[in-house]
Amino acid sequence: MDNDRTKDLEHRRQRVLAGGGEARQAKQRQQGKWTARQRLAALYDEGTFQELGMFVEHRSAEFGMDQADAPGDGVVTGFGQVDGRLVYAFAQDFTVLGGSLGEMHARKVHVVQDLALKSGAPIVAMADSGGARIQEGIDSLNGYGEIFRRNTMASGVIPQISVIVGPSAGGAVYSPALTDFVLMAEGIGQMYITGPQVIKAVTGEDVSHEALGGAQTHARKSGVAHLTFVDETALMAGLKRLLGYLPSNNLAQPPAHPAAEPEAGAVQGLDQVVPDDPNKPYDVRQLILGLTDQDSFLELQPAYAQNMVIGFGRLAGRVVAWCANQPRILAGCLDIDASDKLARFVRFADAFNLPLLTLIDTPGYLPGTAQEYGGIIRHGAKVLYAYSEASVAKISVVLRKAYGGAYLAMCSKSLGADLVLALPTAEIAVMGPEGAANIIFRAQIEAAADQDATRKRLVAEYRDRFSSPYVAAARQYVDQVVTAGELRHALIAALWALGEKSEDRPAKKHGNIPL
Amino acid sequence: MRRFKVTVNGHSYEVEVEEEGERPTGARPAHSHATQRHEQVAPPVADSSGPVEQIVAPLPGTVLAVKVTAGQAVESGQVLLVLEAMKMENEIVAPRAGTVKELQARQGQAVNTGDPLLTIG
Repeated sequence: MDNDRTKDLEHRRQRVLAGGGEARQAKQRQQGKWTARQRLAALYDEGTFQELGMFVEHRSAEFGMDQADAPGDGVVTGFGQVDGRLVYAFAQDFTVLGGSLGEMHARKVHVVQDLALKSGAPIVAMADSGGARIQEGIDSLNGYGEIFRRNTMASGVIPQISVIVGPSAGGAVYSPALTDFVLMAEGIGQMYITGPQVIKAVTGEDVSHEALGGAQTHARKSGVAHLTFVDETALMAGLKRLLGYLPSNNLAQPPAHPAAEPEAGAVQGLDQVVPDDPNKPYDVRQLILGLTDQDSFLELQPAYAQNMVIGFGRLAGRVVAWCANQPRILAGCLDIDASDKLARFVRFADAFNLPLLTLIDTPGYLPGTAQEYGGIIRHGAKVLYAYSEASVAKISVVLRKAYGGAYLAMCSKSLGADLVLALPTAEIAVMGPEGAANIIFRAQIEAAADQDATRKRLVAEYRDRFSSPYVAAARQYVDQVVTAGELRHALIAALWALGEKSEDRPAKKHGNIPL
Repeated sequence: MRRFKVTVNGHSYEVEVEEEGERPTGARPAHSHATQRHEQVAPPVADSSGPVEQIVAPLPGTVLAVKVTAGQAVESGQVLLVLEAMKMENEIVAPRAGTVKELQARQGQAVNTGDPLLTIG
């Protein structure tokens, strides 16, 4: 080949690889941030990244943009291998025009989004951007809109993961919001619709960027972030771990792993985790750890709506989606936030062929005006909808309390659970023994000389007769009653038996989930 | 820092309220540099000069047991009191290390969601 042409190519490559230049990259490092290319290098197996659209240039001449130097137009895009599997990605480059999104920047993103969808591979978005490139006006806005539309088209077909490693403000936050998982780095990633300055101007509130939209805020208060990390090193490791649970697309199975035993410490005393006394709290995650393969449990949204535990794990090497009431938080009640958290996770699992394992111990929906006014009716309905709609293997285990509407909601036989197991401590009933006895035996209690003693006796009678797994088992709302020690074996057998499960749904455009 | 006088069930309390971002809290330092960020995973240390944090009832119920006394130093995660609600003995734990400043809840007291239980400083 013509030597000059080779040199010219090399020169062009070097210009793009240098991004916004040494000074801006040094500033990025000073802030504890990585550069776009560092991030991609950390994600991909060495030497596998294929960059696309390296020589893309913007075509804006307004407001001095004809003088602006923008290598790669502020975003690095391409594909490569993550643990040997095809994954597409784009990483915004804050050192080039602040990572701002203009027409051609957006076009590069659209290209990898389209390729990921066509080839059935996950896509990772790394957000580090000042927002819309104002100089490019509505072409920039259109760029966002087309990203959102592609996010939506790809939803439920390929896993989409957003990594927030810089600012993501205004309309830019809606692409992450449309994707399946949002990962944030503490002190680095920030997301909000309107920033501190606008809030100050409009409402007079003083709030810092971090307090408004930092990782802790979205992990604890808003529930927007699924996972947060102390720095980018931890985040990239967490991102790769998350990808390890996900199938490449909706027609594929999740990656299989060699079978492993649970952590020995967690298995010992598994029979003691769920207390016999229905009033005693416990940490349901202890039970999950004793049931899952060692080191395989990955909890999602661990600091948000903690009364519901969701996450991925493996049983004998098979990926499952764990859903569990958490009795030590809010007594394990279902509330608005827990319902939203659970329903979205159930729909993800169903879309991507992950069996649903549901552990039930809930006294009911959280009472109170805040919940009713907040719309617990429509939020709680999402759980019913998501479980009923799901056609993956659905296996439920009643640990202790399963009362009324909350029992139905937590993937009961009535909502289409394939197999329902129960521990001997299970209490499946229309309501708790106290409430039920007070209603059924009201006349008897009121007529009694010693009302308290009579009430206690009748509550105990009711509990003995109805608050057990055997009334439900007699109607086969429960298929098996097992001890906690036998549970892992029973679950592995159930997963194996339902491995080829297939269930059709009526043809429709889409359902109308209560949002 | 602003001071309010609040009356609950006939008892009046003085409450100090601090806006977030006013100054770093002991529990969650507002780090912005990578070199410091790792410290956030370390357990928070007792800091008697930190802002007073109001612990409120997360759900309606009855105070079954108060496990601490005013002036007592507590660790993060330590059980402060037990709230019987929804037929469950809910453990209310310290969100961070500190000192019990004011004990507002009494044993046997019925509380609603958001009612003050105690403050930690």
